[in-house]
Amino acid sequence: MTEAYVRINDLSKDFDVSSPWLNRVVEGKEKTYLKAVDQVRFDIEKGETFALVGESGSGKSTVARMLVGLLAPTDGGATIDGISLAGGRRTAQTNTVREKLQMIFQDPYASLNARWRIKKIIAEPIVSLKLLKGRAAIDARVDELLTLVGLHPDDGSKFPHEFSGGQRQRIAIARALASNPELIVCDEPTSALDVSVQAQILNLMRDLQDQLGLTYLIISHDLAVVRYMATHTGVMYLGRIVEIGAGRDLFLNPRHPYTKMLLDAVPDMEYPGRPRTAVQGEIPSPISPPPGCTFHPRCPLANDRCRVEAPKMIENVACHAIEERRSLP
Amino acid sequence: MQSVLSVRDLRVDFITRRGALHAIDGVSFDIAPGEILGLVGESGAGKSVTGSAVIGLIDPPGKISGGEILLNGDRIDTLPAEKMRKIRGKRIGMIFQDPLTSLNPLYRIGEQLVQTICAHLPLDAKQARVRAIKLLEDVGIPAPDQRIDSYPHEFSGGMRQRVVIALALCAEPDLVIADEPTTALDVSVQAQVIALLKQICADRGTAVILVTHDMGVIAEAADRVAVMYAGRIVEIGPVAEVIRAPRHPYAAGLMGAIPSLTSDRDRLEQIEGAMPRLSNLPEGCAFHPRCTQATDQCRQARPDLNANGAHAVACFLHEGDHI
Amino acid sequence: MPANPSSQGRMARIMDSDLVFGFLNSKLTVFAAVIVLLLLVSALLTPWIAPYDPYDPTQLFIMDSHIPPVWAEGGDWRFLLGTDDQGRDLFSAMLYGLRLSLTISLVGIFFATILGVGLGLIAGYVGGAIDALIMRIADIQLTFPAILVALLIDGAAHGALGGEYTEDTAFMVLVVSIALSFWVKYARVVRGSVLVERNKEYVQAARLVGRSPIAIMFDHILPNVMGPILVILTINFGLAVIAEATLSFLGVGLPPTKPSLGTLIRVGQQFLFSGEWWVVVFPGILLGVLVLTINLVGDWLRDALNPKLR
Repeated sequence: MTEAYVRINDLSKDFDVSSPWLNRVVEGKEKTYLKAVDQVRFDIEKGETFALVGESGSGKSTVARMLVGLLAPTDGGATIDGISLAGGRRTAQTNTVREKLQMIFQDPYASLNARWRIKKIIAEPIVSLKLLKGRAAIDARVDELLTLVGLHPDDGSKFPHEFSGGQRQRIAIARALASNPELIVCDEPTSALDVSVQAQILNLMRDLQDQLGLTYLIISHDLAVVRYMATHTGVMYLGRIVEIGAGRDLFLNPRHPYTKMLLDAVPDMEYPGRPRTAVQGEIPSPISPPPGCTFHPRCPLANDRCRVEAPKMIENVACHAIEERRSLP
Repeated sequence: MQSVLSVRDLRVDFITRRGALHAIDGVSFDIAPGEILGLVGESGAGKSVTGSAVIGLIDPPGKISGGEILLNGDRIDTLPAEKMRKIRGKRIGMIFQDPLTSLNPLYRIGEQLVQTICAHLPLDAKQARVRAIKLLEDVGIPAPDQRIDSYPHEFSGGMRQRVVIALALCAEPDLVIADEPTTALDVSVQAQVIALLKQICADRGTAVILVTHDMGVIAEAADRVAVMYAGRIVEIGPVAEVIRAPRHPYAAGLMGAIPSLTSDRDRLEQIEGAMPRLSNLPEGCAFHPRCTQATDQCRQARPDLNANGAHAVACFLHEGDHI
Repeated sequence: MPANPSSQGRMARIMDSDLVFGFLNSKLTVFAAVIVLLLLVSALLTPWIAPYDPYDPTQLFIMDSHIPPVWAEGGDWRFLLGTDDQGRDLFSAMLYGLRLSLTISLVGIFFATILGVGLGLIAGYVGGAIDALIMRIADIQLTFPAILVALLIDGAAHGALGGEYTEDTAFMVLVVSIALSFWVKYARVVRGSVLVERNKEYVQAARLVGRSPIAIMFDHILPNVMGPILVILTINFGLAVIAEATLSFLGVGLPPTKPSLGTLIRVGQQFLFSGEWWVVVFPGILLGVLVLTINLVGDWLRDALNPKLR
């Protein structure tokens, strides 16, 4: 079987959230760690859109940042096109990877430097990675990118504050495309945008994918957006992937109890007031997560095994009840 | 039956050195007791400003420049600050978006509840505390008699928002304004809070203005919905009707742009362009530059909300409709 | 309808901004700014506008000493504000003194800014042990008042140079003292701003394309922390002028042969009780006006740039 284009291999990230050294010595405390991501593993095929979905504390944004090298993993790694991704260090090989990998961020206001003109913002990847030589070539490419995302070449000489949120996100997309990337990681790309603007940006992203053969990793908490965009979806809960589903399957036949609960809880425009199972409890603190399967306090199918043993991923779902073929009476 | 809240031709302007910006330009609606009215729109449409105007929290350079706001028949937009303060909390409660900043982190929630109760109702501290515990129980806080002495940071996000709801309801107001009450919460918690809001208001007969940009929340929680655009209401009617069969081109475009959780969409509907800035409002109908069906009349004159029964639209294309 | 901002030229855009509008609206600030400008220009053009060169001993005549201002009894039109005990024209001495005070303050603040902003950027962006080290040095620096620093450096300079200690050495001593005393405020504030900016997505986007930390610090973050730097600059400028005057007054700064305003005040103090009030009063007034107007402009700038008040 050919190796998938992007492989995430048992990626883990612990954050040190201990009290300062002096406090620990005086109070006799141990170091405390927050397990933000716990052995996450999945593959992304070339040209597809993989979505990581989850609520707060699920670790999805942390996975994204480790993939692009903004955060060093505590354990595990990832490869793109066979090349291993090492976080942080600046080498020639890493630069090759940097070209292939780009990111779009959630906040269209903080993701563009307010003091820079648009032209400079979009040209930064080209200049930093030395992809083109000469002012003329770079300017031409910037104009090309602006047109590609639905803006005008004249917009290059303006400042970010002259644009709306949706337009800024387009600029961010243009910047991400500047290095001719193969994979674009999108961290909540439309969460900060109005609904009608979101539609424009999502459609644009799809069009660009068709046009340029891009692969997307989309991080989102919005299940409807994920259904519209994703070819595969991974559901995360407290740092672990609990289920991976293809296309509509995840939404039509959710298997993991958390996925079911999540889909049931989303307020639905088209079938309002439908009967729902009441959601139990809230997400526990990631600093001291429940032992065993982290979802067990809220799970209607939890048994003793769930309370001590963390379930392994079997056939794209991590749940003892499914493995044991148990279901609600 | 008399409306709890009656807003007639409300206008709110923000005075800048470049002239007056019409943040709200002639908004009218009524709310019946126990009804939940959704106020939906995108950023800059004026929905939050409407909520602020009703509760009297418009600060300079903004001011109410026209229209009337009637609470149970009494005019409140012309009240002096002192009287408005008494109404706030007692007769109109408010729920803000961020539960982290709505509660004072330095005070136990019991203290905040008791303070508010005593400020508006003729009860002493002991009676107020009993009442506060009952309220916490009503909003679903487990072990309320113990948790009443907890600090806000000891609660999770969803629990905090429940406390905020309790705070808004403690003086038994006739009307509650909820400004994006679920936006900062996780999805699974959102559902809980929406259900709570509906149940509480049904039990007490409190009317609610639910301001949000999330149509899903409106669909679940509201009885009627008003869609706002550039400071005006463009469509108002029963929730199911407006969502399934929107008439105004903007409302229709909005519904079409929302991705669906339960069905497949080939492509999301796109409304070209963006909502105009208040400093740059077009002549005539504010939506006409983006409307695929705009006529000359739309470019020159501004359509009014023509109410045919419960469902009203502000659009020349639907003037003669019988709904 | 206002013109489309991007279609205007850069100058037009600046003139149209809220900042300039607020400035022109505040009469007091405009008045203060005009005075500051006037004083700066005077200091610049001193060699051409001063009636005499007060440092040239050949121009001094002992008979011209102790002359009161022109409007008082015994005054002389040649010396508008009177003379000191050596026969120096007070007006010229004040102009040269102003020039010296301003030069020392500006140069001192210049170095303080470079040092403080540089260290603040590094401390904020790199963090960790380097941050802790720089901040501890800053704390230690703060425990030494400017005067003590000046005395120490002065003493060291005298000891090292002995007889070669000249007026120019005094100049350098003052500049270094001011630089060392004032860099801390910059460092602290810039570090705070950097901590905020560092987590913003535009910095992460820059890291993603492989830009070095130095490039990010100076190319990305520095332009975004200019606001607070400007505010501190104006505050520090006024404080530096006073610091220099204080040091000179105490005798640690410029000597009477090349007096700054502070020195003049010290010299004049000696003659106060013999009835010669003008040598103290006029430089004092000039110093007061200078610092007051600088502070007024600084106050306005602080309020104008405060994002919370906007």
